[in-house]
Amino acid sequence: MKTQIKSILMVVILLASFASTAQVVSKKKSKKDTHNFRYEIECIGEGKQGTYAIKVFSYSKKPTVAIEAAKRNAVHGIIFKGISGGGCINKPALARDPNLEQEKEEFFKSFFADGGKYSKFVVASTDGAIEAGDVTKISKKEFKVGVNVSVNVGLLRKDLEAAGIIKGLGSMF
Amino acid sequence: MKKITLAIFIALFTFASFAQPKAKKPTIMIVPSDVWCNQNGFMQEFNNQGTVVKVPDYKKAMQSDPTLIQVIAQINGMMAERGFPLKNLESALKTLEAEAADDNMRSSSTTGGGVSSSPTDKLKQVAKADIWMQITYNVNKKGPKSSIQFTLQGLDAYTDKQVATATGNGEPSSGSTPELMQEAVLAHLDNFNSTLMTYFEDMFVNGREVVCRIKVWDDWGENLETEEYGDDELGILIEGWMSELTVNEVFNLTTSTENQMFFEQVRIPMWVIDAKGKEKAYDVRALGKDLRKKLKTVGVEAKAENDGLGKVTLWIGHK
Repeated sequence: MKTQIKSILMVVILLASFASTAQVVSKKKSKKDTHNFRYEIECIGEGKQGTYAIKVFSYSKKPTVAIEAAKRNAVHGIIFKGISGGGCINKPALARDPNLEQEKEEFFKSFFADGGKYSKFVVASTDGAIEAGDVTKISKKEFKVGVNVSVNVGLLRKDLEAAGIIKGLGSMF
Repeated sequence: MKKITLAIFIALFTFASFAQPKAKKPTIMIVPSDVWCNQNGFMQEFNNQGTVVKVPDYKKAMQSDPTLIQVIAQINGMMAERGFPLKNLESALKTLEAEAADDNMRSSSTTGGGVSSSPTDKLKQVAKADIWMQITYNVNKKGPKSSIQFTLQGLDAYTDKQVATATGNGEPSSGSTPELMQEAVLAHLDNFNSTLMTYFEDMFVNGREVVCRIKVWDDWGENLETEEYGDDELGILIEGWMSELTVNEVFNLTTSTENQMFFEQVRIPMWVIDAKGKEKAYDVRALGKDLRKKLKTVGVEAKAENDGLGKVTLWIGHK
C-alpha cells in the first residue's frame, strides 16, 4: 500500500513539474513571439484626431498570442518603420534617427515590456476579433495572423516628445 | 543650512552658464497663394513705372472669404497641435494697421514731435514671416459630395527655396470645405512636417542659410574695387571676412561688381561664443554687425539693415 501511495505521489509530482515547465516554456515562447518584432503593417484608414487604423500581420505559434503582439507591433511600426501602402498616404516613422532603438534601448525595453506604456496608445479593433481570411498557417508550427488595431499617433508622438525620445518641430528652438 | 543654499546656488549658476541658449526660432505664416488670390479675385493692381503689377490683396481675401479664414484656422490648429504655433495672417494685418494708426496719432508730450518714419520703414510695414506656407485649394463638386485638391508649399522667405511641400486630393465627402481641408491636409501634414524637420535639422548641422547684399552709397566716391584698404580690393577683403564668419566657409558670391555684391547660400552658425566666453544665439543681424566691425577696422563706415532672420543688407561709405 505504502509503495502504491509513493508511486502515485511520484507520478503526481512528475506531472505537476512537467505541467509547470510546459507553462513556463509556453509563456517564454509567447513572450518571444510578441517581442521579436517580426510583422507587416498596412494602414486601413485615418481618423480626425491623429488616430490611424492599422492592420498588423504578426507571426506566432499560437493565433491567440498574435493579438497582444499586434498591438505592440503596431506601435513599434509607427515609431520605427512608418506606414506605407494600404488606404492611407505613406507616413514617415516618428523616429528620424535609424539608430534610435539602440540608442534608447533602456527606454524602449520598458516601453514595450508586458503591460508597458505602449498599450496606452493602442486598442484592438472589434475586441481583437480576427477576420476569417486573416489567419494563415505558413508552416507546421507558425501562423501569420492579421489583427486590426487603432493607434493614437498624436498622443504617442506627444508622449515621446515629452520624454525627449524624439524631437518635436518646435523643440529645436 | 547656509552651505546647502550656497551649494544649490552654485549648482544653478553653473547649470545656467553651461545651458545652451535657444536658437532664433523662424516664424511661419499661412497665406493664400497668388494663384488662389488671382482665381478668386483678390488681387491689387498698381502701376510700377508703366508696368501694371498684380499683387495679392490678403486683407480683402480675409475680409471677404470666410472659408479661407476657416481653412487657415484649421491648419494653424493642426500645426499648434504638433508644437509649432504659426503666426496668424489676419492678426498680423490688424496689428500692422493698429501700429500705423498709433504712429500717426502719437506725439511727444515734451516737444510735440511725431514718430520718425522713413519711406523705407513704410515699405517694410507688411506682414512678415521667415517661412511662408502657401496654400492653394480647389473644391470640386460632384452631386451632393465635394472633394478638395490642395497644395501646401513651405517657402523660405529669403532664399526662395521650397523647404516643405504637401499636395493631394481629399476623399469625396458631404462635409464643409474646412472639414474637407482638415481631412485632406491631416493625411499629408506628417510628411510636410517631416520635410520641414529635415530643413531645421540641416540648419543646426550646417548653419542657417541666409542672403547678404553689399551695396555702395553713390556719394561715397569709392567702390568695391578700391585697393586702398589692404592688400587687395575691398570686395576681395569682404569675401575673405565672409569666409571667416560662415560655417565651413560655405557661401556663394553670385553677383560681384564694383558697386554691389550678392552672397547667397550663406551658412551662418546658430550660436557663437561671445567676448565673455558665453554661448549666444547668432543671426543675420549679428552677421551684419560683424561685417560692419570688420569694415571699420580698415576705416570704412557702413550701415547694416536686416530683414527677419534671413537677409541682411550693408550700404558702404557712411551710415
